[in-house]
Amino acid sequence: MAVDPPSFLHLARPLAPTVIGVQPTTAPVNVIIQPQAIFSILDHAIRRDIRDTQSTRVIGALLGVRSEDGMEAEVRNCFAIPHTENEDQVEVDVEYQKNMLALQLKANPREVLLGWYTTSLDLNSFSALIQNFFASPETGTFPHPSIHVTVSTDPGKGIEAKAYISAPVGVNAERASESCLFLPVPYDIRYSESEKSGLELISGAKDSESRAAPVVSDIEGLERAVDQALDLLERVAEYVNSVLDEERQPSNPLGQFLMNALSLAPKVDPEVIERDFNNHVQDVLVVSYLANTIRTQIDLSQRLATATLTMGGSDALASTGGGEGGEKGGQRGGKRGGRGGGGRGGQQREPREPNE
Amino acid sequence: MADVLKDVPLNSVQVEALVVMKIVKACAATFPTTATGSLVGMDVNGTLQITNSFPFPTADVAASDAHPNDHMAASNLAAAAPRSKANITYQNEMIKYLREVNVDANNVGWYTSANMGNFVNTSLIENQFFYQKELNEKTVALVHDVSRSSQGALSLRAFRLSPTFMAAYKENKFTTENMQKTKFTYKDILVELPIIIHNSHLLTSFLHQLPAAPPTEDLEFPTSLSDLKRNQPAIPLYPNLDSLDLSVDPYLEKSCNMLLDSIETHYTELNNFQYYQRQLAREQTKITAWKTKRAAENATRVQQKLAPLPEDEWERVFKLPTEPSRLEGMLNARQVEQYSRQVDGFTASITSKMFAVKSNLLPDSA
Repeated sequence: MAVDPPSFLHLARPLAPTVIGVQPTTAPVNVIIQPQAIFSILDHAIRRDIRDTQSTRVIGALLGVRSEDGMEAEVRNCFAIPHTENEDQVEVDVEYQKNMLALQLKANPREVLLGWYTTSLDLNSFSALIQNFFASPETGTFPHPSIHVTVSTDPGKGIEAKAYISAPVGVNAERASESCLFLPVPYDIRYSESEKSGLELISGAKDSESRAAPVVSDIEGLERAVDQALDLLERVAEYVNSVLDEERQPSNPLGQFLMNALSLAPKVDPEVIERDFNNHVQDVLVVSYLANTIRTQIDLSQRLATATLTMGGSDALASTGGGEGGEKGGQRGGKRGGRGGGGRGGQQREPREPNE
Repeated sequence: MADVLKDVPLNSVQVEALVVMKIVKACAATFPTTATGSLVGMDVNGTLQITNSFPFPTADVAASDAHPNDHMAASNLAAAAPRSKANITYQNEMIKYLREVNVDANNVGWYTSANMGNFVNTSLIENQFFYQKELNEKTVALVHDVSRSSQGALSLRAFRLSPTFMAAYKENKFTTENMQKTKFTYKDILVELPIIIHNSHLLTSFLHQLPAAPPTEDLEFPTSLSDLKRNQPAIPLYPNLDSLDLSVDPYLEKSCNMLLDSIETHYTELNNFQYYQRQLAREQTKITAWKTKRAAENATRVQQKLAPLPEDEWERVFKLPTEPSRLEGMLNARQVEQYSRQVDGFTASITSKMFAVKSNLLPDSA
């Protein structure tokens, strides 16, 4: 799947026979697809209903945001629409589409209907029919073009996606609703910084037999990243060594690039580094130490709050608690006094040391 | 048969990649306001499979909010979303529609976003209690930490309330006496379940087409430096080299601040309790005084051959203060534990990174 085609020829779209007063836009369109939309389409493809439909594809609507000038459309979300298709007719659950759209927009008020997707690369007259439905002024995206994304989901083959917009073609009036011209448009799969860690985790499972991966902790992630970086450095070092030994062909641009990278290393005074390093490490360790101390204190305080204590035991404990533990011990004392004064609570108290 | 299956307790959570991405997107979009949503799926032999999710609408909240900048208020409303009436209707409606396109139509819980691990609060407890007390009690709360995920590995955790806590919360019994009896501690509030990420076959094949590991065969040499710079190889998604980033101090600082806030809460709780105890002591001294007085009075009355006055009238005269609930304090303790473990995690990665930097800059000293 081409993630970022470097250049693309935008074909001029013939103008539609327009409603008077509303000008359809003719600007070129770039489509950006977020990974979660693709994931959702693929998930839908798996959940295809094979019982009562002969079609091998499923369809759904694309939601997202459009840039102000209409040049860029970002597909952020999508939902499935039930439909049945056989040789001579196609049926789309329009009611479902309308209700689901309303529900989706309620949760994501900034998103709008952008177009639709299907899970086969074929474009046929049914595609045109559905496309015209999504592009129409009442139910679709007019005056903006409706975007059609096709994703191939054939088992055993690579997954391919294509994006189109459409223009009406000049056939006679009664056939206009089922014909249109699909114009390919470029698309990007783009993910944001926040999605990167999610994608990392998901891709971590791609090479495993069970297609599953556990959630890793920070330090494990770091370990793997370091391993990977060491691996890459090794490759470079190997290459440089073999060039030095005149075993492999040298390359000037590569050398230049490596020199540039190496010159980024800062020139520093060892003593300054040593000092800064020590300071910082100490800071970090103190923070960690304090955090753990606080945890212990709170734990202790919770235990003391619910523990049953005898007179002697509480004093001994309060003195060992220190800082907050002492505070807590004081409180304990107050409580003991209260209960002792009352003494009629009828509470059975057994002498027990809190297990520390 | 159904009963047999029902008895298998949940022991792990399997999350589809789609759900991970949806949650990440929903949470990142509203950050730093809390985002919440519903999860659907089914449980199979103790593994809860979460196969889809959808966010709860918060639009009406934002519109009705007088101070749109005040994200705390919006957060609070959003955090309460999973148990609000409108959203239950929304959830049922959505599940009804999802059923038509063959999505697993069982509600299995909800998700929420967090900021540096600040998720242990009454809101979480109330939401999860709301879900877990229903007939379908096999529900989980997924917590996605947006800030932590931005600096390394994805932070996604699954929690349930423990059965003992459920029982206690139902009757709202968080008195010292009760907790002594049940030996209930703050560590027993939440049960964390391990999470496994699961991909479909189609998705696996799609992921292999995204930027993958560097090619192993020999490549053509670039003709110039600019050529090399233009055709940079794509960086693979896994492992994420972002976790090598050195600027972790802001996170540490934030964690410390939140830890301090928690200590503050702890002291407030402590003061509440001390106040209660002083109150109790005062009342009880008064009661004792009253009783002694009454006993003495009765003794004189006996001598004067009069009928003794009742001795248990003090219950009507004096009112003992009610003991404040221990729940707040316990949650706070749990939150502190969460923070300090987080700090531990940070420290581990920071120190290793720093040693790496040091030995890189000063190769001889190592």
